Amino acid sequence: MSHKQIFARLKSAEKAIHKCNLCPRRCGIDRTRGEKGYCGLDDNIRCFLEMVYCGEEEQLNPSHQIHFSGCNLRCEYCVSAEWNRQPLRVKELDIDKMAETIALRQNKGVKTVNLLGGEPAVNVYGILKLLSRLKPEIKVVWNSNMFYNDVVEDLMSGLIDIYLADIKCGNSECAGKLLQAENYLVTVKRNILRAAGNGDMIVRHLILPGHSECCLKPVLRWLAEELHEVKLSLRGNYAPPIPAIYSPTEYLDTDEMQRAIDFAENIGLRIVK
Amino acid sequence: MKNKPYKQQQGDFEIRILKNGRVVMITPDDALMEVAQRIAPENPVVLYQMETKDNARKSAE
Repeated sequence: MSHKQIFARLKSAEKAIHKCNLCPRRCGIDRTRGEKGYCGLDDNIRCFLEMVYCGEEEQLNPSHQIHFSGCNLRCEYCVSAEWNRQPLRVKELDIDKMAETIALRQNKGVKTVNLLGGEPAVNVYGILKLLSRLKPEIKVVWNSNMFYNDVVEDLMSGLIDIYLADIKCGNSECAGKLLQAENYLVTVKRNILRAAGNGDMIVRHLILPGHSECCLKPVLRWLAEELHEVKLSLRGNYAPPIPAIYSPTEYLDTDEMQRAIDFAENIGLRIVK
Repeated sequence: MKNKPYKQQQGDFEIRILKNGRVVMITPDDALMEVAQRIAPENPVVLYQMETKDNARKSAE
């Protein structure tokens, strides 16, 4: 995609945050005037961590992670909650400097630029500005909770090489309690199906200890029915929050991990490491 | 044990040592990855990270 086309999308993104409708929260506030909605962001982009990481899925490593602050979910077990609940406390990103850093890391052998958060979707305006400064051959990973409106996919389609798409809960009750988003599943399923047609995709599910019947199995059955060729990444690195009100209080054990892998394989899903 | 998280402020590190001896690092950054290299050099992620750093160093030279 040419820089001119990205600039056209940038204009659409700016329009979208004038009366913000990027995600199903539909706050309707004007972020360009500093009004704050659910995610707490204005029209600037903020990065709280950038690093090369080798713990992502193998095809992505080494991956240049760029963590943007601000999120439209409130996962009780979020491991970077302190950055996402007060996103404006993070310094504004110098986009030109970050573009230089990305080029430097690419020259040193990094395979992918990994846009994550927080949540990249609520930062789409700043992300487009950043992408407009990058070489088009750089492989971009959209590491997202997938909880956003069609406008985000419209803005990003063609710019993403690999969707690293989260699907967290398997029912509305768990999504309401754990993520503060009862309407999570319907939105995320729609976005995953749409994005699967727009680029390479890895669907990632963080296994929640004790949520096999209510979350893991329904999610995997849906994937087997709708996207049986998709690459599935089962993550076992859940860390209980302190305190935990609704979240599991235990770490995942090897038996539960193995049972999840067996279930996925038995219904024909393709697991990637 | 206090029922409050250690990692409360932006920029705090959080390392948990579990009863079974497992060490968990929450949202590791470069500094925590260096700690991981010291205490678990055989960990596959750490090994790959070290290998990548070596390659980067060589290509920069």
